[in-house]
Amino acid sequence: MTELRFKKTTEFDEEVYAVHPEDYRALLEALKSEGFDYPRSLTGMDTGYGLRVVVHLYGIESGRKATVYTDVPYDAPEVPSVTDLWPGLEWFEREAYDLVGLRFAGHPDHRRILLEEDWTLHPLLKRYDTGGYLLPDWQPAPWPETPPWQEEEAAEESQEGGEA
Amino acid sequence: MSRMPLPTERLVQPKLVGYDPTHPRPWLERIAYALFFSALWVMVVLAYGVVPTVFRHYGWLESPWGFAAYAVIEAVLAFLLAAVVALILIVVLRKYLGKVQERVGPMHYGPAGVFQTVFDALKLLGKEDFAPRRVDWLIFRLAPAIVFVSAFMLMVAIPVAPGWLMADLDVGLLYIVAVSTLGAYGVVLGGLSQGNKWGLLGAFRAGAQLVSYEVPLAIALLSVGVYSGSLRFVDIVEHQYGLWHVVPLFISFVVYLVASIAELKATPFDLPEAESEIVAGYNTEYSGMSFAFFFLAEFVELFLLPGFMVLLFFGGWHGPLFGLDPQSFAAGMLQSLYFLLKVAVWVWIYLWIRATLPRFRDDQLMDLAWKGLLPLSLVGLLVAALLRIFLEVL
Amino acid sequence: MRGPTTIDPVPGRTDEMIINMGPQHPATHGVLKVVVGLDGERITRAVPHIGFLHRNHEKIEEARTYSQIISYADRMDYVSGLQNELPFILAVEDLLGVEVPKRAQYLRVIFFELFRIASHLVWLGTGMLDLGAITPFLYTFRDREMILDLTEKTAGARMLPNYYTFGGVRRDVHPDFFKDVAEFLDFFETRLPDYYALVLDSPVFQARAVGVGVLSKERAIARGASGPVIRASGVPYDVRKAEPYDAYDEFEFEIPTRPEGDVYARFWVRFKEMEESVKIIRQALEKVPKVGPYKGKVPPRVKPKGARYRAVEIARGHLGTYVVADGSEYPVRIKHRSPSFANLQLIPDLFVGARFADAIAILSSLDPVFGEVDR
Repeated sequence: MTELRFKKTTEFDEEVYAVHPEDYRALLEALKSEGFDYPRSLTGMDTGYGLRVVVHLYGIESGRKATVYTDVPYDAPEVPSVTDLWPGLEWFEREAYDLVGLRFAGHPDHRRILLEEDWTLHPLLKRYDTGGYLLPDWQPAPWPETPPWQEEEAAEESQEGGEA
Repeated sequence: MSRMPLPTERLVQPKLVGYDPTHPRPWLERIAYALFFSALWVMVVLAYGVVPTVFRHYGWLESPWGFAAYAVIEAVLAFLLAAVVALILIVVLRKYLGKVQERVGPMHYGPAGVFQTVFDALKLLGKEDFAPRRVDWLIFRLAPAIVFVSAFMLMVAIPVAPGWLMADLDVGLLYIVAVSTLGAYGVVLGGLSQGNKWGLLGAFRAGAQLVSYEVPLAIALLSVGVYSGSLRFVDIVEHQYGLWHVVPLFISFVVYLVASIAELKATPFDLPEAESEIVAGYNTEYSGMSFAFFFLAEFVELFLLPGFMVLLFFGGWHGPLFGLDPQSFAAGMLQSLYFLLKVAVWVWIYLWIRATLPRFRDDQLMDLAWKGLLPLSLVGLLVAALLRIFLEVL
Repeated sequence: MRGPTTIDPVPGRTDEMIINMGPQHPATHGVLKVVVGLDGERITRAVPHIGFLHRNHEKIEEARTYSQIISYADRMDYVSGLQNELPFILAVEDLLGVEVPKRAQYLRVIFFELFRIASHLVWLGTGMLDLGAITPFLYTFRDREMILDLTEKTAGARMLPNYYTFGGVRRDVHPDFFKDVAEFLDFFETRLPDYYALVLDSPVFQARAVGVGVLSKERAIARGASGPVIRASGVPYDVRKAEPYDAYDEFEFEIPTRPEGDVYARFWVRFKEMEESVKIIRQALEKVPKVGPYKGKVPPRVKPKGARYRAVEIARGHLGTYVVADGSEYPVRIKHRSPSFANLQLIPDLFVGARFADAIAILSSLDPVFGEVDR
């Protein structure tokens, strides 16, 4: 088995894993076999330079909590689906697709869920205002030199350094 | 005036109509409902007592014209009686449910809300009787008529006191089984003709339910006929002078009670119109007066089925006569009052059941009918037959 | 129009009726639409559609300051409005490092459990309405009104009180509050036997509920079910015990569980939860400091930094809020993980094979609130 590219930190009482998108599914499979059997949540968000998918897991037996996230660029917003590991994330992935525009490869029912089928935009992207209009002066930020899953303390991702 | 007037600036201040929650007047309610009940009694005396007695006394029934006049008058009176019964029972139901549920119920039209249903009926009369494009028009229009007419035809068969009856049917029991089954056709046809899937489901449920409950109901009625040796209501009531049928025929009584609730389509057997499941079931697409006919028929049946129960099992008009001649007019009035009071007690029990229980599921209802009530009704029939043989041997 | 509004018929099959249950169906607790295929009365397929009440809270909240967001959280699960504020507040408090005084924690717990009772009462009334009994509905709403009166007297609003705030609660309770709550609890305990008699002990209800809509333990965990739904399947998962917030680790209470996983078990668990809530409130009334601050020290401008997921156990289950903050007055992303949203994923699992009347019972036992599902 190849080395998984991720960085593990501890924030409050949670284990936080920042993982390379290619290893996203492999890490989650490993976590599932470690006893994280309860899917708490799956969030899609716009970080300004790309899209992020955040998975919150919980072990019913162990009481451990884990947060796994990975970033993908705007032009290739696709991560593998994990609905076969946790079927409870099926609607959460659909919601992330619906609101943010993340694609989940291998999702059994990849449709919009909250918005209408023929809706064209993904409203939670930062390029839209609350009315759904494109912000004229919005520009994507450059992809970070050291993405969150790399061990570089200098370029710690600003949004994830909460405990510092 | 450029702005809306404030509430305090209105020339005509709104008046609190009818009910003032700070001053409840329970005596008003009681008087109002006692008057309502006596209005029903007067109607019954008129329809069942006065008109037939007068016609018989003068021998007008012998001539064809006299008979025709009698038929027309009685038809009108029976229709009015059915309407009054339905209007009273609807408001009584709502008021009673209000009491059970710690509300006040209808309060605003008439003293203590007694005219609520009159206004409801007027409102329904004024509404458009709308038919969607996909309905089978003839059957759609015919169905409420079938339902209402079958309920109203049953009124003819009831004797309320000795000699007080519209038509003395030799086959009264058979007649009510036949005519009440006719009502089931109306419900099923109404559901099927409206081109609505909820109506279709309601019609299926109504058909299955009404058919499966007619059978134990008919057998329970039959056991009364076997025991008393007659299908005539007058004979059956006369037969109970020693002992009301509810004692020897208790099993048949229980079957009749359960099956009649199912026949009424009331909770816990209100599947054909279970609004939380199939929206409104067979009357989903009905509006205006067509809907009102279904509604009225239901409440006429709520009077008739306890009425038949009282006739068959609770001694009909039996009660203390205080030395009056049973054939006299005064005794007739008293006895019809006894009949109505017994019916009122049973209507109250039916409403109580309706207020308390949740709904059965369709398959449980079938189970109960075919696996529970049908064998039980056969046992009741056997008991009735054995008792009859036993009495005849004695 | 929301597409696809229907499911395709199976080729060659003519005995399946496809029917839209909702969004205007009387028993869908709001605006759920389930397209069901019916074979007679038996459900062959069920496809749920949600989103009819979607307001995109999460986008609106990105344009609001943190203290403005609290009142938006109220409006998700409007039946237990107050409870929805808490996970967001807890997450922001974690990020700010705010200490909540003891008295404030106890006040929060008292209101939290009062709203659990209120929410379960609404569920009980509407659930029994779905099963055809009208009387419990009016009884439960009468009792709930007393809780809403307590809230109104304290917070000024009835259903959506906007009462919790960072570091505690927004204002102190009035002097008679604890006496009023104790009076309500005494009254409520005299009411519970009625509900048992009308619902759980009713043979007709038992015939409708026992063995209907069975959810296995494994499926409940994998589907992310929570609240009474997962506890009725035999999983003692309750956020109040798993990760205690506020003062919940100082109370003695049980997590009612049942192994069956059917509709009856879900009703039973909620009944027992109301009793446990009464126990918790009684303990809180004893232990609450009679004097003391009702709010901790919070910076005047709330500018948290970092990311935090906090969960609480609201009446419907695990409500989580994920707050991503960048140190400005506005959040980057707020995600509400609502319990009904996850529980509704069970619809295809539970509906298929059930009878149509069972589907109504199953839906009412899941107890979704669409303000929360659609957000």
